[in-house]
Amino acid sequence: MSIRRKLPALPSLTVAMLAMLLAGPAMAQQKTEITFARFFGACEGDYGTSQDVAHARGECGVMTTLVNLFNATNKDNIVVKPQIIEWGPYYQQLNARIAAHDIPMIAVMHTSQLGDYTRYVEPLDDLLKEAGIDATDFTANARAGVTVGGKIYAMPWDTHSWLWHFNVGLFKKAGLVDAQGQPLIPRSVDEMIAQGQQMKAKTGKPYIIIATSGAGDFANGARGYYSWLYDQNGSIFPNGYEKADFKTPESLAAFSAYEKLAKADLLTKGLDGGGAIGAFLNGNGAVYLTGTWRIDDFLAASAKPGSPLSEGYTARVFPNLFKTQSVWTDNHSWVLPKGGTNAETHKAALIFLKFLWDHNFDWARGGGHLPARQSVMAEYAKLPLRQYVVDIPTFGRALPHEVHRQFGFQNMIGEEIANVINTGKTADQAADAAQDRSVALLRGR
Amino acid sequence: MESWHRGRSLGDRLLLLAVMLLAIAWIAPIVWVVGLSFKPNEVLMRSTGGIIFPPFTLKNYTDILAASSVFGWMANSAIVAVGQTVLTLVIASLAGYGFARTDFPGRRVLFVLLLAALAVPEQAVIVPLHTMFAQAGLHNTYIALIAPRLAFPFGVLLMTQYFRAIPAEIEEAALLDRASRLKVFWRIVLPLSIPAQATLGIYTFLHAWNDYFWPLVSATKPEMYTLTVGLASMQTNFAQTEGIGFLMAQAVFAGLPVLILYLFFQRHIVSAVAGGGAR
Repeated sequence: MSIRRKLPALPSLTVAMLAMLLAGPAMAQQKTEITFARFFGACEGDYGTSQDVAHARGECGVMTTLVNLFNATNKDNIVVKPQIIEWGPYYQQLNARIAAHDIPMIAVMHTSQLGDYTRYVEPLDDLLKEAGIDATDFTANARAGVTVGGKIYAMPWDTHSWLWHFNVGLFKKAGLVDAQGQPLIPRSVDEMIAQGQQMKAKTGKPYIIIATSGAGDFANGARGYYSWLYDQNGSIFPNGYEKADFKTPESLAAFSAYEKLAKADLLTKGLDGGGAIGAFLNGNGAVYLTGTWRIDDFLAASAKPGSPLSEGYTARVFPNLFKTQSVWTDNHSWVLPKGGTNAETHKAALIFLKFLWDHNFDWARGGGHLPARQSVMAEYAKLPLRQYVVDIPTFGRALPHEVHRQFGFQNMIGEEIANVINTGKTADQAADAAQDRSVALLRGR
Repeated sequence: MESWHRGRSLGDRLLLLAVMLLAIAWIAPIVWVVGLSFKPNEVLMRSTGGIIFPPFTLKNYTDILAASSVFGWMANSAIVAVGQTVLTLVIASLAGYGFARTDFPGRRVLFVLLLAALAVPEQAVIVPLHTMFAQAGLHNTYIALIAPRLAFPFGVLLMTQYFRAIPAEIEEAALLDRASRLKVFWRIVLPLSIPAQATLGIYTFLHAWNDYFWPLVSATKPEMYTLTVGLASMQTNFAQTEGIGFLMAQAVFAGLPVLILYLFFQRHIVSAVAGGGAR
């Protein structure tokens, strides 16, 4: 009875809600609204109204304060409306939005994905000039990331890369430090195995911590594989982009480095991301393989007295075990999807891009990535431990934009490396499997 | 206690013990999730054990509540879940009754097609479905969030089987008294099918409440997010390693309305799930 009485209220409630939704845009009519699709999470609890960009921490904190600051201070009556999407399915949703013509005006994009989207995003060469963004200030790595077929398709936002994070205390215990007390960095696969065995013998701890079991953890193995492949100037596409080749000597050497570590029982097996980071913070492993974005977290942990990292923490570029130092990189960037802006919002979008560009250092400082601007690199290098990673944009590499479905390749390679680590698959078997699986990935081009 | 022991055989006691163990095994992960949701994220980065020891925090929950849209997302989820449940019950009941009691040309073929539809995975139809709603300009509306789920073959099958199990004589008596089919359905058959309706209703509601993929691609404006999509959007890129407490709080928060619903309708839900639907 009571439910029946309440039911008639539902339509009126729905109508009232719809009216509110319709009235909202009308009330904000005098403002130019920019839709801003991004991941990086939401953190209104900590940064909901903060405009203190200089003290914001983490990707979410910096992005939120930047938008708050822009909305509060821009003189052009522009309001940026973030459309925040979970990172995992971000590109599926973006694809769906493009298909449905529900297109955001500005969207974040990894440059590794840009090759798949050039038909759907605006070329920016002229627009960057119009916005007052100096493209000659792009780092070499950022420039390569956003340039496809000679055209710039995105405004670069950072470079992120792959590091070795060291528990210096364990390295000291194992006698693997130099005269300055800094960890010895291996220069060959054999040296790495020898160091690992010494670490295991002296401390009883695994030499390397790597997460290989969670769905999002497969990228970890792949980033190391790419780094060692690039150190040999190798490629998985030596003969054009129609066919991958995972059985080149360079590729086999990269797989084999993992196989040797696994066979010597020098790395962790079956850990997911949470387990791996916990293992490192608890001192249960000497080196943690993860990205540039973790440096500040580990520095904070090492500053706590009694912490297993309190005897020392440092980070270095993923070590070159072969010929020439290189390393895997990717970039976050901002694109203007075609059909997202109109004549009215176009200028506003460029003004916001310029604002972001002017705050690129803030992103690098708080977000944990390397800046996309050469002009702020010196300032960036002054941040703790950044002197060891600041050169990455000069030698970091990524797959060429002609390679489509790069996340598909990354996951597939990572799964094969996880098999090498966790199930005893050999390097040859992993390379064979990757070769077979690449056919299906390329068939979908 | 003594009388309890006297009245039961060893078999009963063993069964009870087994059920208790299963209940503990079932509830342990939930307790763990709730425990983790009250722990600081930085502590959980080091270890996810020791949930009963301090430090504790409410920050994971206050962070959720700080999101200005969270109650809007909850309202969206409620509208979608209730809408889907009510409409599914109406459609599945009418279709089920049609298949069970009426004879019309092509009925068998249609029923076979219905059974075949049970085997079609959601992923196989998601692209045409999305395109269809895009062409109709219906994304970011409640219609788009509700309508695709109304084609629910399992619901029709369940109701068909249930109606078939009701003795036809009950209806025949009413038909002899010149009651129309619709009247027979409304006055006689529908009240008898309440247990099956409850089972189907609960199933549909929970499915709609927890739905993620379709709302993700259809509701792209934050004001149209459902709770699942909205809460997920709040996750940082490294949530699985640096925001475990927050993730757990999200799980508890999303499950809370359903839990409250269960507490209110516990008797009906248990009876529906325990036997009503299968009768």
